[in-house]
Amino acid sequence: MSLMRRDVLLSGIGALAAWGGASAEPALGGSAPPVPAVDPGLARFMAVSHCLTDRTELDTAVGAALYAGMVEATPERRAQVAALYDLQEKHRLITASELAKAGEKADKSLKDAIHDIMIGWYRGVAGGKVVVYRTALMFDITKDAIYPKTYAAGGPFYWTTKPPEVARPTGLPALSPSPFVVEPT
Amino acid sequence: MPSDQNLSADVVIVGSGVAGSSIANELVRAGLSVIVLEAGPRVDRQHFVENFRNLENKPSYQGPFPSTPWAPHPPNQMSPNKYLHTTGPDAEAYQQAYLRLMGGTTWHWAGCAWRYLPSDFELKTRYGQGRDWALTYDDLEPFYYQAEVMMGVCGPDPSVEDLGSPRRQPYPMEALPLSYAGEEFRKLITEKTPWRIVHEPQARNTRPYDGRPTCEGHNNCMPICPIGAMYNGSYSVYHAEAAGAQFIPNAVVYRIERDAANKKVTAVHYYDPDKGSHRVSGKYFVIAAHCIETAKLLLLSADEQSPDGVANSSGHVGRNMMDHTGVQVTFISGDKALWPGRGPLETNVIDNFRDGTWRNERGAYLVHMVDDNQVDFATQLAISKGYVGRELEEQIRYLASHTVRLFSHNEALPDPENRLTLSKTEKDALGIPHPQVYYKLPQYTVRSCDHTRSVFKQLIHLMHGTDEEWTPGYFPQDHPSGSTIMGVDPRDSVVDGHCRTHDHENLFIASSSVFSTVGTGNITLTVAAIALRVADTLKKELLHG
Repeated sequence: MSLMRRDVLLSGIGALAAWGGASAEPALGGSAPPVPAVDPGLARFMAVSHCLTDRTELDTAVGAALYAGMVEATPERRAQVAALYDLQEKHRLITASELAKAGEKADKSLKDAIHDIMIGWYRGVAGGKVVVYRTALMFDITKDAIYPKTYAAGGPFYWTTKPPEVARPTGLPALSPSPFVVEPT
Repeated sequence: MPSDQNLSADVVIVGSGVAGSSIANELVRAGLSVIVLEAGPRVDRQHFVENFRNLENKPSYQGPFPSTPWAPHPPNQMSPNKYLHTTGPDAEAYQQAYLRLMGGTTWHWAGCAWRYLPSDFELKTRYGQGRDWALTYDDLEPFYYQAEVMMGVCGPDPSVEDLGSPRRQPYPMEALPLSYAGEEFRKLITEKTPWRIVHEPQARNTRPYDGRPTCEGHNNCMPICPIGAMYNGSYSVYHAEAAGAQFIPNAVVYRIERDAANKKVTAVHYYDPDKGSHRVSGKYFVIAAHCIETAKLLLLSADEQSPDGVANSSGHVGRNMMDHTGVQVTFISGDKALWPGRGPLETNVIDNFRDGTWRNERGAYLVHMVDDNQVDFATQLAISKGYVGRELEEQIRYLASHTVRLFSHNEALPDPENRLTLSKTEKDALGIPHPQVYYKLPQYTVRSCDHTRSVFKQLIHLMHGTDEEWTPGYFPQDHPSGSTIMGVDPRDSVVDGHCRTHDHENLFIASSSVFSTVGTGNITLTVAAIALRVADTLKKELLHG
């Protein structure tokens, strides 16, 4: 999906509102006229995100909020996203696996940026804060089986029904493994 | 700051959790005047639901419930902690979490509503371990049922599935159906092991009950049921208030005043958030402030009359700290997809290890296969393994549908050396010392946990499990108990079989702090039953002399 300039403008405003406010669900800027202050990094972030998720469609409002949160928490992410974008363009990388491998090979620190981008889109978290919960991609890809906590809508005792079977995956990891730290309860 | 109020009631209760609020409800409906003093603020469910949804660390049960400077509670189960300071060889095993809020800690319980077994009250007599309670199962049975009706407990038909605690009436509601994951686990246990799976009795609606809806399976019993299908203490607060009980939030009791003879309590004193001091007098007093805070308050009230603390002539206030220490493992099943997390959090239990002759040497326990949504866990795990894009999505689906988490509640024993004291260095905003606990796991519990690990290993093998992740060490299950232990001998116990303090005839304690042993199964139903029995005693004494 090509990124429309208007999408970036509107989502940028929405992201600012979402980041500054209490709501976890960013809203679009509505009918207010866009303010022409576009972060060119956002377009690169969206392009890299499409590649790293192997997805043609991603919500630009969510993307703007994720990018804003990520860069606020870790300013070097801006340059790292740009570096990933350059790799993607220079080598015409198509798949997530290609870009992730090329990124880690070029600069080990890019792995952290890739992790942040994955955590952003799939968990809906940026800079340690929730940007979206219900609409995070991890729930999109499991919605045929399970509801996000606090959002069940299956009716009484839906949980007794048989959920879908899942085949053992055959795909390989693209990045080197990292320690998995379980957060405290 | 002197008080400008003159508060007084027949019965003054400290703490608004399940125990305090249910006593208040019983007494006010019998025509008695009641004041309940709650250290924390009045709160509402939707605020917590919103907090949860905005919480990055979703498994943090304390996370959605920030505390106030005047009534701090532990921010998490980390050690060291900013409020509950634990020391000793097993300090981390006693890093309990609880809430100081109107309605109490059941804001984030799982609704598991076990009765203890008759043997749990007679551990010393039957197995030569620990202590006997100063009451029997039969003494408590009518109050167990009253508590089940109050909370709305669903459970199995005892003629089909006997949980070992004799019942005179059936459960108020039919048992909750097992989830698909729970049912598959039940089949495995039935076919491949000598053990069994039972339906866990739960304070959760399987039909509309007490003005609350049927459970919809939001899978968020902990930390917050979004719809109130699960009972918590706030409902007893609402009922008691509707009947005329006075609940005062942000009232931090810091002193228990007695008469010249030190035989009767005459008043309690509390601070408001600005440290204005208020006196509340009454005929009877009940401390129902959670195991940790109850002992803290008694110790805090030390003065010339009682230099070691109120109700503490035995020296046992703050001693005998117990819990259900847990063993926990997470692994990836190699069998069919289970998709845990569809429905309530805890539906099924292996109950074979709750009692047996072996209790003369190792503690009892029960096992949960937790029905917890694993999507977030799976996502973090798959990202850490290095997956991206399409391969990441395959991994998330596989791991979320195949992750299994087992944990246990293992029985502790009362040991006077395991002791709560007041911190000499750490204080809250009102200048009240933080609690600190020395804890060393009893070998009885360690042997029980060893047994659990061997059972878990068998289960992992049966499910062709891989990627085992054992929670390091021993972890607390937030069931602290024993700090004002019950007994017949005033020389080594704090309260008698009716939860009346040996030292002060009009001072009662309603909390897991009175437990003489901790049995197995979540403690809340027993806390509620004990509280309702205290209410019954107070009604008899106040209404009939």
